[in-house]
Amino acid sequence: MSKKIGLAKKEARKGFSISSIYLIYAAIFWGYPFVWLFILLFSKWRFVGSPQFVGFRNITRVLTDPLFWKTVTNVFRFMMYYIPLVLIGALLFAIALNKIKFGKTFVALSFLVANVSSGVAYSIMFSNLFSVNGPINKALNSLFGITIPWFTSPQWAMFSIALIVIWKFIGYYGLILYAGLTAIPKSLYEAAELDGAGSLTKFFRITLPLLNPSIIMVLVLAITLAFGIFTEPYMITGGGPMRSTLTPMMHMITTAFQRMDPTYAATMAVFVAIISFGMIWVIRKTMEREVDLV
Amino acid sequence: MKKLTVVFIALLLTVFAFSQTKLVFWTAPNPQQEMFWKEVVAEYETLHPEIDIEWSTIPAAGSSEEAILTAIASGRAPDISTNIFSGFAAQLADIGQLVALNELEGFDELVETRKMGSIIEGWKINGNAYVIPIYSNPVLMWWRDSLLKEAGFDNPPRTYSEIYEFSKNFVVPMERYSIQVIAGRNWWDRWFDFITYYYAGGQGKSYIDTERMKATFNDEVGQEVAQFIKTMFDNQWTAVDLGSDPFYNGAIAGTLMGPWSIAYAENQYPDVVDDIVITPPPVPDNYPSDQPIYTFADAKGLVIFNTTKNLEEAWEFVKWVFSREDFDSKWLEYTKMPPAREDLLSNEVFADFWETNPLAAEYAKYVPYAVPPAPITTTVDVQDIMTVELIEPLMHGTKDVQKALDDAIKAINRILW
Repeated sequence: MSKKIGLAKKEARKGFSISSIYLIYAAIFWGYPFVWLFILLFSKWRFVGSPQFVGFRNITRVLTDPLFWKTVTNVFRFMMYYIPLVLIGALLFAIALNKIKFGKTFVALSFLVANVSSGVAYSIMFSNLFSVNGPINKALNSLFGITIPWFTSPQWAMFSIALIVIWKFIGYYGLILYAGLTAIPKSLYEAAELDGAGSLTKFFRITLPLLNPSIIMVLVLAITLAFGIFTEPYMITGGGPMRSTLTPMMHMITTAFQRMDPTYAATMAVFVAIISFGMIWVIRKTMEREVDLV
Repeated sequence: MKKLTVVFIALLLTVFAFSQTKLVFWTAPNPQQEMFWKEVVAEYETLHPEIDIEWSTIPAAGSSEEAILTAIASGRAPDISTNIFSGFAAQLADIGQLVALNELEGFDELVETRKMGSIIEGWKINGNAYVIPIYSNPVLMWWRDSLLKEAGFDNPPRTYSEIYEFSKNFVVPMERYSIQVIAGRNWWDRWFDFITYYYAGGQGKSYIDTERMKATFNDEVGQEVAQFIKTMFDNQWTAVDLGSDPFYNGAIAGTLMGPWSIAYAENQYPDVVDDIVITPPPVPDNYPSDQPIYTFADAKGLVIFNTTKNLEEAWEFVKWVFSREDFDSKWLEYTKMPPAREDLLSNEVFADFWETNPLAAEYAKYVPYAVPPAPITTTVDVQDIMTVELIEPLMHGTKDVQKALDDAIKAINRILW
């Protein structure tokens, strides 16, 4: 009996010592900054000395800061273009990949290249491609006599940024959806065909509902990405024109390190986190379905 | 006996190690500048074995400002750092992190030896000199000689009207534009367009009155500059998104550039180098032709942090570096950026360099007329407002000149107060 307890104790100790690596890691790199974030939220501090308590002043300042809310609406404008387009694109990619007989890995890898490319490098490439005298505008002009102010019109700029990010993530999201597709048993389709279902019916009644977990995962990834977008607008448009591509992340970084106001930047970060978590919670509550494949 | 010797040597080593004074010194992460500082630091350490300079580049981060501020916050600020622009120095002085160098012994002699008396005036913050300016990069206009000739211009345009004339002869929409008037829409881009034009048109008069803390650029010069920008965009003689390197691939005939572009041009576009003509920035039509043209100085300097425990040693090192002419000459050789001194053209030490580097020599001529940015703590916000209230409305034609200027001034004065 006592031997058994000793063993259990030993096991528990072993388990604890293994997980302690993660716990210590989390305490240092997650817990400590998190505590600091809360201290900063209620204080005024400019890198030197100890933070001074200012109550809710940072919070009321964020609530009444038109520039911050402009950056938040910019994120929603980004998502308006990004989410539907990247979802449809990734879905088409996944379906096409599922139908390919040879060279699947090659196709998948070539789409993933975009995902691992350096943000700075492709930002330069796209700004050349979309420039007023660039190849795309030249082609449009000679074919249809029009040019598009990709990055210079406040209406177009965010759409152009979204296009670049879509290019980057279509392969990645596509693979997630592809994994979901391959998990759907063939027998379901065969049964549906026996019942006389057409390909549209099969898609909307079988594929789409059974893909729900993968789609939700892509949605969650896309939302978190949208709130953290930085490199592309920073490199290409600098947040303009007319602040139409200024993102919360850009605003926070300049506020913390160039305006020297880290406490205010921390407060904005908390707001952004709350908004994005809120959105994810709503999406999961309203759209997530239990899927049982067996 | 053997044991005793070992103990004795160990003791000696510890004493030696503790008697050495350690100075932490950060410099700009730039290969040419690193080469320079490596040699300078090594020489100082051989001359002064009692000093150990722990030299490194400013740690990798989004920007030097970010790295330095994080270091200050965590109590790991260096003793000395380079790569500080005047606005950042003003911010650091504002939170009491910098040593006022003019209060240290030998400051006046150093200023005199390095011939930087009037340059240092432009760097003063609330009457104190917190920064030793290292280099001063005037921003000048580069023109493509062959493209000018193609449009029938033997000499580069000097005034706004001459640029209009040139544009009429030269511009082919979507193919090529006359000059890049606006550098971009980041806050720092205003240094390389509006502020440069404003300094040029107003003989170096500041866009901000730092005594009364008021923006002052809605005067006659400001109107002329704004009208110039508007005219160029209204007629589609210029564009913003021209892709990368439009000057070198012929998409524009002229643009404002700093001396750091010389090395880039020589490496990346050696064929174009002989085609480059350098002039001061364009000026309003009525600008007197016998007066020198001022311009903006992209300038960086060195500061000592007042968290240093070895102020005396740090200051000795700084004095030693900047009282040596041969170091400034070496700096010029390595970086091609003019040292911040007023005798660049008259001092024999630099003569050989100018002879073999004619493009860099053009820049040297304008060092005395190059004015650094206004030393205010709100540079980012001020220049962001300039972008949103003044430059973008002029580009898109949504405001007239006077309204754009007035709106910008009003918004800036609100934050300066």
